Amino acid sequence: MISIYKKDLQSFFFTPFAYIVTALFLFMFTFVFNGSLGNLDQATHYFSFADIFYSVIIMFIFLIPILTMRTFADERKFGTEVLLMTSPINVVQIIVGKYLANITVFLFMLVCSLFFPIYASFKGEVVMSQLICAYLGFFLWGAMYIAIGQLVSSFTENSILAAILGEIVMFIFLFVDDFAMTEFIAQYPGLQSALYAFAAQPRFAYFSQGFIRLSDIVFFLSAIIVCLVWNYISIEKRRWNRG
Amino acid sequence: MITIENLTKYYGNNRAVNNISFTINDNEILGFLGPNGAGKSTTMNMIAGFLPMTAGKVTIFGNDVSKEPVKAKKNLGYLPEIPPVYPDMRVREYLSFCAGLKRIPATKKSKEISRVMELLKITDVKDKLIKNLSKGYKQRVGFAQALLGNPKFLILDEPTVGLDPKQVAEVRSIIKELKKDHSVIFSSHILSEVSAVCDRVVIINKGDIKAIDTIENLEKQTGGSITLHIRIKGNRTAAADIIQNTEGVTEITKINAEGDNSYEFIAQLEGDGDAIKNNIMKELLNNNIQISDIFTDKPDLESVFVKLINSKTSGGMKELFDEYREDMIKAQTEEEENE
Repeated sequence: MISIYKKDLQSFFFTPFAYIVTALFLFMFTFVFNGSLGNLDQATHYFSFADIFYSVIIMFIFLIPILTMRTFADERKFGTEVLLMTSPINVVQIIVGKYLANITVFLFMLVCSLFFPIYASFKGEVVMSQLICAYLGFFLWGAMYIAIGQLVSSFTENSILAAILGEIVMFIFLFVDDFAMTEFIAQYPGLQSALYAFAAQPRFAYFSQGFIRLSDIVFFLSAIIVCLVWNYISIEKRRWNRG
Repeated sequence: MITIENLTKYYGNNRAVNNISFTINDNEILGFLGPNGAGKSTTMNMIAGFLPMTAGKVTIFGNDVSKEPVKAKKNLGYLPEIPPVYPDMRVREYLSFCAGLKRIPATKKSKEISRVMELLKITDVKDKLIKNLSKGYKQRVGFAQALLGNPKFLILDEPTVGLDPKQVAEVRSIIKELKKDHSVIFSSHILSEVSAVCDRVVIINKGDIKAIDTIENLEKQTGGSITLHIRIKGNRTAAADIIQNTEGVTEITKINAEGDNSYEFIAQLEGDGDAIKNNIMKELLNNNIQISDIFTDKPDLESVFVKLINSKTSGGMKELFDEYREDMIKAQTEEEENE
């Protein structure tokens, strides 16, 4: 597991890959950050990091699939899947190793983004409790998206296709609560609450307001576990169907 | 010892491998021969535990591949048809990753990597990116990976494909060296290679085993008749008499006159070809007949191979299967008619 984790990290950090993704992420962050600073001129004087995360996550659904698209698709494309599968390790270790590597890159991005609150704390006051909650929520949300992206990557050997599929799935997940609120769905309260149960955005909203609720943490963790288990099934299934 | 019992693989309705069984003994090189699409790679993938089998059992030194995969794979080194290398890694980095996968302790790692790099002569490319290497080098890097940790059982799927003749000879001698403390199964469709390296061969075609035997036995199998070619200068009838009366010669099939008192005789021999040849030569020289050329044609592995591949598929299963399919089609058409 450690060797797979190390190898995947190397493939991110020994190539420009991780740096470009991180730079793009910070670039988006800066945009939103500057936009929010603009708000200070207005009467509301409203500024919050949680809000920045809100705006960033929409762009995030384009970044995360790029991060995860190669996870399994490339192993399959280069035929190195055989190497992993015939080594004395089991599939669970492969999946967890790869997931942890993806998470590490994501953490690297988050750590880089700490520049903004630190900078802000020099010029003013940052509400730490809220900031920490927002970061925790953002991390869990991203971790869930990475699990989804990794799952989608195991469906195909074309990494571009994996990225596009991942974007579609994440897009649906992002806006499922808006969809649930439409008048059409409101006609069917059962369906509405079922759809709403899948929505990540309202759960993040609690974090951004400074609440850490057990149910929200359980939501994200269970989504991650479901995706990783599905990931395992999809890899095993592909071995059986290969032909 | 590695045992393969009743291994079967279906891809949907297509049967790729049909109920094959054989064993690979300790310190043995087993050749795995067959034309393209015979099921060689499928079988090897199943033995390596990469593809699940439809039915059957593979045991590597006492560990069942599907029941105790991690234990079984500890004794296994596998070089698939396409070397499983990461194009964006450097050779040494890649081997270090593989050593980690194979759980080689950190203290022995760098020594082990140097050993396999020396063995396959890739030390001078150790800092190159794999994507910049030629096919032959990639193949050797893949081979090096299989040898890491010195596993007792090696599966080599066409290890010499893409190598130049010098490298082919080198790889063959490495494989021969490996025999000392490894069991090797080695697939190829090049016959000379198999006869140069292997102790025993398994010949398969369309998923069925056609033969399992040593190379000498297979060569004997084709009927044993040896053709003698002899070119002489001198008295034709005297020479014909001598050849005809030598023990072991069944018949003279052809005499070609080549002018200037030269003749070519073609005769069929049975038994020890070399001894008969020597006897004929001795007699002819005693009778003052000049010999300008003499040689024998042995039935080679090539002809054995072609013969076995063309032989009819062993009945039983195939017929059953065809019957089953016919029944299915019949049932379907009946259903459609009922509708």
